[in-house]
Amino acid sequence: MSTTEGTFSPLNNLTPSDSDYKLIAENVIAKYNGVEAVKNVSIKFKNKAVTALIGPSGCGKTTLLRCLNRMHELTKGASLTGRVLLDGEDLYSNEQNPIVLRRKIGMVFQKPNPFPTMSIYDNVAAGLKLNGLKNKTIIDEIVRSCLEMSYLWDEVKNDLKKPGMSLSGGQQQRLCIARALAIQPEVLLMDEPASALDPLATQKIEEMITELKKEYTIIIVTHNMQQAMRVSDYTGFMYLGNLIEFGETRQIFENPKNETTAKYVQGQFG
Amino acid sequence: MTRLIDPSLNQLSSLMDKMGHLASQSINLALDSYLEGKQARNEVYELSKQISDLYDQIGNLTYEMILKYQPVASDFRLIRSSIEISYAFTRFGRYAFDITAVREMFGDLSECKNEVIYTISGEIKNMINIAIRCFATLDLEKAKQLKTDEDLVDKYYARHLPMLINSKNTKCALADALVLRYLERIADHAAFMAESVNYIVTGNRS
Amino acid sequence: MITAKQRAEFRTHFRYNVKKRLIIDKIATGIVIGFVALAIIPLGSILLEVTKNGSAALSIEFLTQIPGAIGTGEGGIGPAIQGTMLIIAASSMIGVPIGILSGIFLSEFGDNRYAKTIRFFNDVMAEFPSIVIGIFAFLVIVLVLGHFSLWAGAFALSIIMLPIIARTTEESLKLVPITYREAGYALGLKRWIIITRIVLSSAKSGMITGIMLAVARIGGETAPLIMTILGSSQFFSGFDGPIDALPLRIWRLSLLPYDSAQAQGWGAALILILIVLSVNIGVRYIFLRKSGGAGLFYFRSVKRRQR
Repeated sequence: MSTTEGTFSPLNNLTPSDSDYKLIAENVIAKYNGVEAVKNVSIKFKNKAVTALIGPSGCGKTTLLRCLNRMHELTKGASLTGRVLLDGEDLYSNEQNPIVLRRKIGMVFQKPNPFPTMSIYDNVAAGLKLNGLKNKTIIDEIVRSCLEMSYLWDEVKNDLKKPGMSLSGGQQQRLCIARALAIQPEVLLMDEPASALDPLATQKIEEMITELKKEYTIIIVTHNMQQAMRVSDYTGFMYLGNLIEFGETRQIFENPKNETTAKYVQGQFG
Repeated sequence: MTRLIDPSLNQLSSLMDKMGHLASQSINLALDSYLEGKQARNEVYELSKQISDLYDQIGNLTYEMILKYQPVASDFRLIRSSIEISYAFTRFGRYAFDITAVREMFGDLSECKNEVIYTISGEIKNMINIAIRCFATLDLEKAKQLKTDEDLVDKYYARHLPMLINSKNTKCALADALVLRYLERIADHAAFMAESVNYIVTGNRS
Repeated sequence: MITAKQRAEFRTHFRYNVKKRLIIDKIATGIVIGFVALAIIPLGSILLEVTKNGSAALSIEFLTQIPGAIGTGEGGIGPAIQGTMLIIAASSMIGVPIGILSGIFLSEFGDNRYAKTIRFFNDVMAEFPSIVIGIFAFLVIVLVLGHFSLWAGAFALSIIMLPIIARTTEESLKLVPITYREAGYALGLKRWIIITRIVLSSAKSGMITGIMLAVARIGGETAPLIMTILGSSQFFSGFDGPIDALPLRIWRLSLLPYDSAQAQGWGAALILILIVLSVNIGVRYIFLRKSGGAGLFYFRSVKRRQR
């Protein structure tokens, strides 16, 4: 019984090098110790747009996100079948080095996690310095522009040597976003980035996302539906590992075509 | 499972119900009194005022719901349409009052035959009842019916209005013209209600 | 739904317990403090005794001279001090790197049965009687090379150090939350870089504590030294001969029937304690004082927060 509906057609008809879509997931099945967490999901993520993944806890949205930058396989007992195409190239093919490809896709986690032993500057530069980049001028420039993009530069510019952990929760999360942006990814994955933050900090993050999408493709997992409505252009609803519906955000929230989607967004889940 | 928004939705439903009945009542009263040559201005005015009060109440309720619950999907469509339909109801009340005011303005209309109005008034009353039930039950069939009814009314209006030019009695002709105009507007709003119901159920705006 | 009246009724059952529990609480606290005091008393009295008896023997001559003729009270424990420093250094050179690498293996790569076996044997090794380790070193190094030496002693002591360092390193590394490793992976960092530059530096304080524990342990080990470095009255003169160490010297001095020897023994004991203490403080100062460099330590000491 297929529960996958939506406004897009099955991917069989589409060529992988469809240039409108930065990231395409095809028939992804992700398992933990043999138990399926993501059941045959196919999604296309539009370039320079924000796509939100919503759904109740345990529906597989975070697992799907982690499949996109090959973080899923780091968990013990995790396995995956299917393809994930970035600009047409399959990230799971044997020629791809996971470490290298993770530099093309940045990730921000639910709880802010700046490296505890490093200063603000070192945190942002971590992806650069620890990967061998030595040119201090370039690093300075990148650190500054990333902190500016994260709306953090003005607050920390006077003392970049302060420990990363001395910032408030909202600032730490923005620091983590700057750190992810520093490696110059094309895509930014965000796993409930504002769920641990207060409303003001959340607002800053959402403003930042709206600004960032001009240059980046952003995929955000959120359980806050109003947030999905505010920041995203496309929304995918997942339930029990399946992609139930996918479409433009306005349509999903104003006129969901699938009954389960309608129940979930209206809060009628038991 | 009772959601936070459900009691408010029930309250909205009952207010809309009340409003609908008052609207229907006011139109019926206005048309009947016009055709029978009776005076009903004050009664209709009262009804119209009640309708207006309900409109304010519904306005407050829907805005509160939007602010508090940030409704989506069919909840949202229902609330949005309720705001629009409640406005249509106030228009019904207003037009009902206007119809009674015609007799007031024009004085004695006992010599007028009111055939034109008589023929169409049954249709209009029927349309209003269908519209109210259509919204209450969200019946798409009735909505379609209303569209066709409105077409008929439009054609009737387009045919009979020019004919009034040739009427011998200027006073009667003018009175008829005014009332005919009001009736055409009422039908228009009823058709608009049908569109709103279609929006609630299918999510499409035509 | 519980009404206010029912709540009031339920609450009447609660109140009377509290007074008894407060008294029990005070008694328990008192007992705990009492036992702590009991535990500190031996430690305190040892320190007092050693300081009292040992400080009398301290002098520049004592610290730098070779032992004089037995029973005269002349000379000092210079070679013993030198020997202890040398043997701690040499053992650490062997034991610390291997211990840390083992700890890293067990923590970062240790999800399999192979690692479980290693962990088990590691724990067994930690409980080995040190004299058995000394005999082993004697057989393997001293007999093969034909002489007592620094390396034999370092070998024996490193075997004692290794399990302690491996275990504490593993535990410290495991304390570092997974999310920091994940952040490293998400940045496309290589695994080894993540382990050394991120995880290790976060676990620094725990690891240093482990190393200091190991150093303090071997600083006082006597039995393995008997059979590997033998002891001597001369300063270090090469890797192919016996050397002296403080535990050995203390043992030998305390066996002599002369008062002067006993006094020197106390002095040597005091010096040993001071050496271990200063190594501890020194290393902590060097590795942990940088701001932002105190790793997990830092979480507890952050006071200021800004928006």
